[in-house]
This record gives sequence, C-alpha cells and structure tokens, in this order.
Amino acid sequence: MTKETEYAIEVDKLTKRYGDLLAVNDISFTVSKGEVFAFLGPNGAGKTTTVEVIETIRTPTSGKVTLLGMDVTKKKHDIVPRIGVLPQGFSSFDRITVRETIQYYSRLFCCMNADIDGLIDLVNLKDKAKEQYKNLSGGLKQRLGIAIALVNDPEVVFLDEPTTGLDPRARHEVWEVLLGLKEKGKTVFLTTHYMEEAELLADTVAIISKGKVIAMGSPGDLIERNANYLALTFKSVDGKVFEILRKMGFEPVLDNHKNVEVRVEHTYDVQKILNAIKDAGALYLGLDIRKPNLEEVFLKLTGEALRENPPEMEPK
Amino acid sequence: MNPRIIIANLVVKLLSFSREKTTMFFVIAFPIILILLFGTIFMSQDNVEYHLCVQDLDQTKSSKESINALEVNGNFKITMVHPSINATQYVRDNKVNLVLIIPKGFERSLIRRKFFNDLQASVTITYIYDPSSSSVSTKMDVLNGVLAGVNQELSGMPPFIKSVKKSILTKKYRFIEFFVPGIIAMAVMTLSLFSTVDSETELRQKGIIRKLSTTPITRTDWILSNILYQFTLGVICTIAMLLVSYAVFHVSLHISAWLPAFILLDVFAFVGIGMILTRFAREAQSAAAAANAVSLPMMFLSGSFFPIELMPGFLQKFAKTLPLFYVNEGLRAAMVFEDNMAALRDAAIIGVFAAVVFILGIIATKWEDDK
Repeated sequence: MTKETEYAIEVDKLTKRYGDLLAVNDISFTVSKGEVFAFLGPNGAGKTTTVEVIETIRTPTSGKVTLLGMDVTKKKHDIVPRIGVLPQGFSSFDRITVRETIQYYSRLFCCMNADIDGLIDLVNLKDKAKEQYKNLSGGLKQRLGIAIALVNDPEVVFLDEPTTGLDPRARHEVWEVLLGLKEKGKTVFLTTHYMEEAELLADTVAIISKGKVIAMGSPGDLIERNANYLALTFKSVDGKVFEILRKMGFEPVLDNHKNVEVRVEHTYDVQKILNAIKDAGALYLGLDIRKPNLEEVFLKLTGEALRENPPEMEPK
Repeated sequence: MNPRIIIANLVVKLLSFSREKTTMFFVIAFPIILILLFGTIFMSQDNVEYHLCVQDLDQTKSSKESINALEVNGNFKITMVHPSINATQYVRDNKVNLVLIIPKGFERSLIRRKFFNDLQASVTITYIYDPSSSSVSTKMDVLNGVLAGVNQELSGMPPFIKSVKKSILTKKYRFIEFFVPGIIAMAVMTLSLFSTVDSETELRQKGIIRKLSTTPITRTDWILSNILYQFTLGVICTIAMLLVSYAVFHVSLHISAWLPAFILLDVFAFVGIGMILTRFAREAQSAAAAANAVSLPMMFLSGSFFPIELMPGFLQKFAKTLPLFYVNEGLRAAMVFEDNMAALRDAAIIGVFAAVVFILGIIATKWEDDK
C-alpha cells in the first residue's frame, strides 16, 4: 500500500557495489515533492548508479529507497507508470520521427489520450515533428528525450545529465524546457556535473563524491556555508599591488595576464585593500568583485574530502 | 503480456524496417536473387536429364531408333554431331564431355544378330570423352546400363530379375522445387538470427533498452513483439520468393498451413539462439561474428542448397544435429512430397528445439546490466 509522505524520494543508507567496486557508499537524503533536486558530482562519483536504483533499474546492495512512498525493490510495476526518465546518453530509434517516437512511448504507457502536440510544443519541436531521430542535432535529441520522459504525465521526472555533450546554445535550450517543468511544479531529480546548471535550476543540491554525499542544501546555503568570501581580481597590475596584498597578510595569486586574485572574508577588507593601494600609488586597470559560485564550493568540498580520506591517500 | 504494447513495438519495428533500404534488400531481394541465380543455373539439369552428343556414322533406320531409345530410356537430351566432323575435335571445340559414336555397319550387324542369329555379329560403340569432367562417368554408367539392356534383349533370353522405376514423387519435380523450400528456411533463419542479434546489441549499446526498462514494457512483451516482427517479415519474404518462383520458374509447390507453421518455428528457434548469443557477445561486432559462426554451417551443411546425401557420411550425421535441417526437411515434406506425417515429425523435432532455446533465450535476456 502506498504511504502518503511529503517526500517524493527517500534514500536511507543506500549502498551499491559492483563486485569489489563500491559505487555508492551508505548515502541518505530526501527529495521533497515539487522541488528540483540536483545531484552534483564528477564522472564516476556514483550519480547514475544512485539514480538508476531510484528509477528501479538497478537493485541496491543494501539500504532502503522509497519513491512516492513505495519501496523501489518491491513495487516496480506501480512505480514505473508514475515516473518519467531521461537516461544518461538518451537515444532512440534512428528512423522513427519525433511524433512517432512520442506516440510509441505513449502507447507503452497505454496513454491513448496523451497530448502529443502539447508535448511537442513544450519542448519546442513543432518544426521537427516529422523529422527522423537520426537527423536531429544533439540538443533536439535531448529535448525529444525530455518530451518522452513526460509522456505519461509523471509525478517525478528523472533527468540524468540532460545537457552533457551539448554546445552552450543547445544547453540553454534544454534549460528553458527544464525551467518550464519547474514552473509546472513537477518533482525533478537532476543529475549533472555542470555547476551552473544546478545553480540555475535546483532548489536543493546534493554534492556527491566517490560514492558519498558530502554536502546538501540550497545553492545559496551551500555557498554561504562553504565559500563565505569575496573574490577580488585586480586586472593588469603593476608589481606593487601583489606586494601590498602580501604584506597585508592576504594570499594573492598572480596569473599570466598580470591579474591578481585575492579572497577576503569581510567586506571591510575590500575598503582596506583599496585604500592601501591608493596610498602606495600602485596602478591597475580594472577590478572585479564577485561572490563565489557552486563550482568553487564543489572544488573546496571535494578537496577537503580528499584530505580527509584514509591514511593511505596521504603522501608518505 | 500486453497486446497494445506488443503492437506498438511491432509498428515501430516495421516502420524502421520500411525506411531501411539496405535491410530491405538483404531481407527480401537477396533470397530472390539466390532463387533466380541458382534456379537459372540448375534449370538445365532438372530431373537428372543429361546432355549427350551422338555421331551416327551408320545413318540408318535402326541407328536412328537406337538413338531415340537412348533419349527415352537413358533420359538423355540428344544433340546430333554430323558424321563428317572429327568427334575428338568436336569435344575439345564445343566443351562437351562425351560424344557417343555409332559405327558404320550398325544396322547390318544388328540384322545379322537378330534375324540370322549370327553370334559373331557385333558392333563397337565408341565413347569420346573428357576425363576431367566430373559428370562424364555418371553419363557413361547410364549409357552402359542402357546398352546392357539392349544386349540382353538381343540375346533372346527374358531377364530373370526385372526392375521398375517408381519415383517417390507423385508427379515430376524439378530442382527448383526442391531448392525454394530450402531457401525459404535459410532466409527466415538468417533474418531471425541476424535481426535479433543486430537489434539487441544496437539497442543496448545506444541505451534504448535502458530507457525501455523504465517503461511498463516487460521482457516478455519485448520478445513476443520481436517474434511477431520476424514472423511478419518471414511471411513477406516467403511470399516474395514464392511469387518470383511461380512467375519465373512456374514452380509447382503445395502451399498449406505447414508453411506458416514452419516459418514460425524457424523464427522461434533462431530468435532464441540470437537472444542467447547477445547475452554472451555483447558488442555488435562480436555478436555478428557469433551469428555468422552459427548461420554459415547451417546454410551449407543442413541441405538448404543441395541434398545432404552428396556429403560424406560424418557430415550427414552432423547435418542431422542442425535445427535448420529439420526446417528444410519439414518444408520439403509439406511443399514437395505432400507428406503430412514427415512434416509433423520434423515440426515436432524443430518445435522441441525451438521451445528449449527460446526459454533459454528469455532467461538469458537481462535488461538490468549489473556489471
């Protein structure tokens, strides 16, 4: 019997092994209904394995995964009609047109009244409806994949690296479709290794590294908690700026283009630095001040994780 | 099992097939080309009718009657060589392997023997032949048999043991009528085996199987739709082959319910083998190589192209272990000999084999890839 819960997905102490390889190591998290949840991590971190266990494709080695209140290992036939999946590296039948492909998948779900035209419009493929799959560009193929994932009007949509391998323009086209899903209030489970994608689309981000979830929260929270600094970049500096910053106790970094980047924790440090440069008569052509992004959070967290790894990883 | 899902799959597969010109060629046109090619080559050798060149140096009524007797009793198609031509040169120039020479004085000797009972009277028939030819010895054997009959008749003694030729066939059949059922069996095997292997590996490599595993389609639906698809193609392909065979060679074949039954059994058996192969050979290239390793011995050793009686004994025994042999035999029993009992026996053998490999194929087909 389906248990009513505020969570669309509950993962409790999930572990998945392939022989000796520990792909997912005792992870737990929840995804609320109606939220866009991004699973962020590098290739091989365990994202796809985790999502495929939740999608009922793979069986967990241990732990419990509940989707819409149902155990994924026991209720596959009840779960499948209520979810939509865009698998990693989505592909379809080469010589079948966009419209025929959507119709085919709607028939698999026995959705005889599926709004094929509505789905084609949703993913902006009206002009390509009669085009065979093999003739579509990478971005159009992914958009078709998203339309197929929505063919049964699912409660939870899984999108496994929907923009991997796409050029920036195609990526933005897919993002527009995903933002449309967010507006419709669908629960979306997104795996990606693009930080800006997670930052733009997700309500909650979980960062996974080496099979472990190492941080979770909203993009703002993660940045606030893990990268609470301002990054100042002085452009085309003369030699004095670098020395001034070093003498003030900061750790400036000089790049090949004579730009100096320095991180400060407090806003009043910015004024202090600017005053010191002015007083010394040092020169620079421009100044960028920015808050850190999710990418810097990720680099910081995975770097810490590496340092926290078992002793055999430490240099002897 | 969900019929709607099975039909949806079938429609997609047939649409894909209809848009894939190369596949269409190999599935439909290729077997037809084989029939046209082999049918044309062997039409002149139908019903073991040998071509025989005869030079009549006697040019009498008796010699002409003897030549007619050779045509009728020896089943020879006679070409006359003019008496003025050098027979040895004729063999070389015209690439024939045998010229039979009836000597001058044939009628005179025959009259002396027959009416005057002159036991000294005889004639010497000369065979001018090319020993490099593989069929010439058979021709000479047949000729010797006919001449032995003539000798016996002239000796005046009635034969103690008589033989009578009685064909196992109810009517006269030609090579093409034996060939077409074999090609149908082979074409359906190739279609089912390669199509299963190609589509399963391709769909798996492209990730379509993984996508399908997140939909309500079950493995059983998938496999049954595949069977239905291969069966549909098998029937289309068979109809095309039969139409061409009727139109070009005016074949006389008995069409009954056995034909679709054997096509279906052929499909089940080789889809099952295909599914087992794709379980172990997961890459498209290795799977295709494995399919070739299975299909080539079947094609050449199971009697699709020529009767297994022409093969050495151990190969004949091996042929009888091949599933395609029973499809060939069953189709010929049904279409050529109209022998329902033989067709039933062959159907039972291939049916048991098909059931076993099909069940093994279902077990071998995994959609979850926990590697």
